[in-house]
Amino acid sequence: MRCLLMIAALFLGNAWSAPAAEVVVHLSDGRGHPVNDAVIMLTPATAAVAKSPAGPPATYIIDQHDESFIPYVQVLRPGDKVVFRNSDSTRHHVYSFAAIKTFEFVLRPGESSPALSMDQAGIAAVGCNIHDHMATYLFVSAVPAIAMSSHDGSATLGHLAPGRYTAQVWHPQLHPGHPEPIQNVTIVGDTDTVQLSITLSLLPDPRMSMDREHLDY
Amino acid sequence: MRCPWLLCLLGSTVCPALAFAQDVDLHAYIDGRLVAAPGETSWTHGGLGKTRFGDGGTDAQFGGAGIVGTAQLTPALLALAEIQFQTTDRPTVSVLEAYLRYRPVALSRWRWSVQAGAFFPPISLENDAIGWTSPWTLTPSAINSWVGEELRVIGAEGHVEWRGDVNTVELRSALFRRNDPAGNLLVDRGWSLSDLTSGLGSRLREPNATGGDGEPSPASRYDPFQNIGSRIGWYADMEWHAPGLGRVNLMRYDNRADPAAHTASGVFAWHTWFTAMGASTDTGPIRWIAQAMDGATVIEPTDGVQFKTGFRSAFLLAGWNRGQWRPAVRIEHFSTQGWSDAGTPQGEHGNAITAVLNWRPRDWLRLTAEVLRIDSTRTQRVDAGLSPASTVTQVQLGVRLIY
Repeated sequence: MRCLLMIAALFLGNAWSAPAAEVVVHLSDGRGHPVNDAVIMLTPATAAVAKSPAGPPATYIIDQHDESFIPYVQVLRPGDKVVFRNSDSTRHHVYSFAAIKTFEFVLRPGESSPALSMDQAGIAAVGCNIHDHMATYLFVSAVPAIAMSSHDGSATLGHLAPGRYTAQVWHPQLHPGHPEPIQNVTIVGDTDTVQLSITLSLLPDPRMSMDREHLDY
Repeated sequence: MRCPWLLCLLGSTVCPALAFAQDVDLHAYIDGRLVAAPGETSWTHGGLGKTRFGDGGTDAQFGGAGIVGTAQLTPALLALAEIQFQTTDRPTVSVLEAYLRYRPVALSRWRWSVQAGAFFPPISLENDAIGWTSPWTLTPSAINSWVGEELRVIGAEGHVEWRGDVNTVELRSALFRRNDPAGNLLVDRGWSLSDLTSGLGSRLREPNATGGDGEPSPASRYDPFQNIGSRIGWYADMEWHAPGLGRVNLMRYDNRADPAAHTASGVFAWHTWFTAMGASTDTGPIRWIAQAMDGATVIEPTDGVQFKTGFRSAFLLAGWNRGQWRPAVRIEHFSTQGWSDAGTPQGEHGNAITAVLNWRPRDWLRLTAEVLRIDSTRTQRVDAGLSPASTVTQVQLGVRLIY
């Protein structure tokens, strides 16, 4: 009886376990440098293979340090919240006039904004009305398989079921008006790891780093 | 805690002051050069030489020093003042800019702002670094040299911008006074290529030989930012820019000065108007900047007798962003065209090429090597007993410390 229970448990465990295939995306620019802060989305060709339970809403902190927003890009699920924290010694006036959300917060040094719920999918560009060179992007998406590229230019999208997917990439410095890079991906086995390399053509970083020579007022 | 009321008082007094201090920013620079100067006397010392330094030789020169202070008085209200110290003509402390800007946050694609005080008209695409200097060259183009010498807006500007996903369009317009002598230098001296920027408090040197009689006059200087007459000038500027594509701007300036008005000391108002255009774009690591200016200035020294001088210039600059290293090359053309008292054509035309290598090994340090060659012909040089044609070369090695 005990053996039967163990066999049944193993069988059920395999039958109901989350899919384990993954896609590892490597992003580079035209000169072979890794591209970080890119958003990669995998959209299944058929809705039936989509498997990724949505977690509870999360709260993310967008920091302001050295007159820069950190991170540059934040991926959110609809319903997630953001808090803007000022870690600088100067005031910031954080604002956005994005279609999905308009808001403004004057933040004194050390101050944080109230949590802001981002309920609608889309992209919100966020700036500082005092320091025009500051920018961050809130990428709100309900796509189940979504990830950000790290400093080595890679991003891993896990827990994928076999099937055909479309990989789509977004980055704040993609050429405006040009179509976003798209690639088809096919996962055959439950535990496959598919490697995907994508080259992006990016504009120069519009964020002005703190440069003593250039005063941006 | 024997005196809690004292702590409360101190807290209520000091904390706002500290909070205010956190929004005050100071930046500064100091610049030194080793200059191999052309043999001609520079215009800055009363000559007709077009470069900042002259009289030959290779000498250490003081390039200038400046302080920029800003205070974010409220989230929407910015105060800025920029003060410089120069010794090229004579030791002078002057105010390059001092203004208040009100720019409330806008939760739509439209944003507006107003600023009032003294500031540069939005012409230069080169001079966006501290002290109104260029990050590409030591010496700005002829156009922007003149802007730095004789143009300043002392008035108020309104600005509105539309911020699209790709394109941004900006419109600005200003009313101003105290820019009535603008144009005087272009006629008396001609174009120059010089980074001797003047400010409120500066006095511009006129050439010793300005008349047609060939007699040198005593050193004369004038305040370029003064009221002569009571007219109000204006400019309007439109700019488009888009990431990855570049920027284009178009401007019309008219100081509307009364060309017959003059001061008791004989400084005339020059009615000056011009159209200025500029564009910049990047191709890979190369930044391209082009500007052009076409205008005229009129003086009426005696009733009903006007002298009009047309002026135009254009340049193309290519700068290579290579991180710490930033080479740049600029070519330009300039000319003026007018008439002498005797009715003969007067004016100048010339070309210049500037080759520069910048090195920023540290954030606070900029080292620059620049070669500037100017080839020009100017009829008025004959009045001073000089050949009308002139070819000069100025070589500078500059060290700039930036705080």
